[in-house]
Amino acid sequence: MTIPEQQPVQPAPQPAPRTYKARGRFFGMPIATLAIWASLYIASSAIPALPIPGMAGMITVNAIMTAISGMILGPAAAIANAAGGIVSMILFPYGFSAGPLGFLTVTLGGLVAGLLFANKWIPAAILELLIIGSWFINPQTWQTGMWMVPLPYTAIALLVIVIKPLRDWVRRSILTQHKVWMWPAVFLMCTVGHAAEFMTTNTMVNWMFHLSWQYWVPTLPYWIMIDTVVILASTIVGVGVLNGLKKARLPQFSDSLEK
Amino acid sequence: MMNINLKSQKSPFQKLDGRSKLVALAVIFTLVLLFSHWAYILGLLVLVMLIWWVARLPFNMIRDLFKFFLVIAVVILVVQIFFYPGTTNLFRISNPIRVIGFSGYITLEGILFGIAMVLRLVVIMIVAPLLVMTTPLPDLMLALVKLKVPYRFAFIMTTALSLLPSIQNHAAIIQQAQLCRGITYDGAGKFFAKLRASVALMVPLILGTFRDSQTLEIAMSSRAFGAPIKRTFLLESHFGVADYLILVFAILLLVGGIYLRARGFGAY
Repeated sequence: MTIPEQQPVQPAPQPAPRTYKARGRFFGMPIATLAIWASLYIASSAIPALPIPGMAGMITVNAIMTAISGMILGPAAAIANAAGGIVSMILFPYGFSAGPLGFLTVTLGGLVAGLLFANKWIPAAILELLIIGSWFINPQTWQTGMWMVPLPYTAIALLVIVIKPLRDWVRRSILTQHKVWMWPAVFLMCTVGHAAEFMTTNTMVNWMFHLSWQYWVPTLPYWIMIDTVVILASTIVGVGVLNGLKKARLPQFSDSLEK
Repeated sequence: MMNINLKSQKSPFQKLDGRSKLVALAVIFTLVLLFSHWAYILGLLVLVMLIWWVARLPFNMIRDLFKFFLVIAVVILVVQIFFYPGTTNLFRISNPIRVIGFSGYITLEGILFGIAMVLRLVVIMIVAPLLVMTTPLPDLMLALVKLKVPYRFAFIMTTALSLLPSIQNHAAIIQQAQLCRGITYDGAGKFFAKLRASVALMVPLILGTFRDSQTLEIAMSSRAFGAPIKRTFLLESHFGVADYLILVFAILLLVGGIYLRARGFGAY
């Protein structure tokens, strides 16, 4: 009789530790905050500010929301802007000159500024180059003077993204909330967000309605004025909101950068 | 601030699944961008108006929308009429003005292309409201989730909509408070006055609502938002015969449109 070989006792399989991804957040921002932002976006789309001669729609206060969203929400601004943009486009179609694809413009505005603020400058630069490139792909833009259209603010935005000392200074001034330098830094960050939005809109409108240089070139000074006003207004709101959020210890993207 | 009506109109299209309507919307939008010939775009406009009529939607909404787009429609028309490089001269306006690229003639092609672009604008602008006016927003969100739009994204949209009345109340309270401090919101037509008032409104509004977001976040966490479980839905949607018919019609329309365009029809 042989004694059966004793099997080594197998330890009872331990249940794998249950891990939960932070599914209540996007890029470090709580979904609740993004929902609130989207709601604010929809509400601000209901405030028509200025009809735009020569383009479908009008500038609404949501242009300010798009410009400042990247600094407050980081890359997650793209998600909040897209959600708010889709709903407001359906409820208030006059604010979206690109029709049902209008939400893409505000998504890109938030994304480029958010990526820059999160110090992910390479994807931000690639997106900005794609936005500029998509303008020049259209044969319509090879006409007289059409190369000037992206110059005023989109080119500045690209410079802010790619020039390291400038980029670092802008981010540092906003993160540390420097009393003086925060203002020009927020202005430049708003420029990045707004430029990405309006250049995408311009490109889409140009593809849809085939507007020639006789429209774009003479109206360029007018657009520069409008964009300057929007960026300045965004700067005032942006500085106020960033200061207020910090003082009230409310959630903002810079919290996740500090962690 | 405008009041926002979140209720869809009673219409025969209300019972359709949101997915079939979204697909139909996407097809119409694609086709209107695919064609640049006025007759084809006019055909699409007739189709959209027919849907509008069958859905028993108010036509005065189109009139209201068109008020916003009248200026742009005129500008598009004028730019195309004067500067489209046509060959069939209709009548002479002046000598050629080379600096602005004007040939001196109004051409038939310019007029027709201008009309096509204005028709395109009209279709683009009235097709999206068609969807929302016939679809209750919760159904629309459900349709997006069923179309594999991430649940968390649909949640953001739904929550944003449900919070909207509360945010409008916040805004009204802030406006009243600021009215007491001399900030007026009634600068009709005055752009800078309106902008100034908007800036004064936005900072307290954003800060106030961000404070509320913390309550919402706690409420979500306490209900284990994002737990890895199979989700169930309060509302359900099912594809009916009418949905399949719409889907088939939309796909045929798209395939037909692409085929025509590939054969050189519908372009100008």
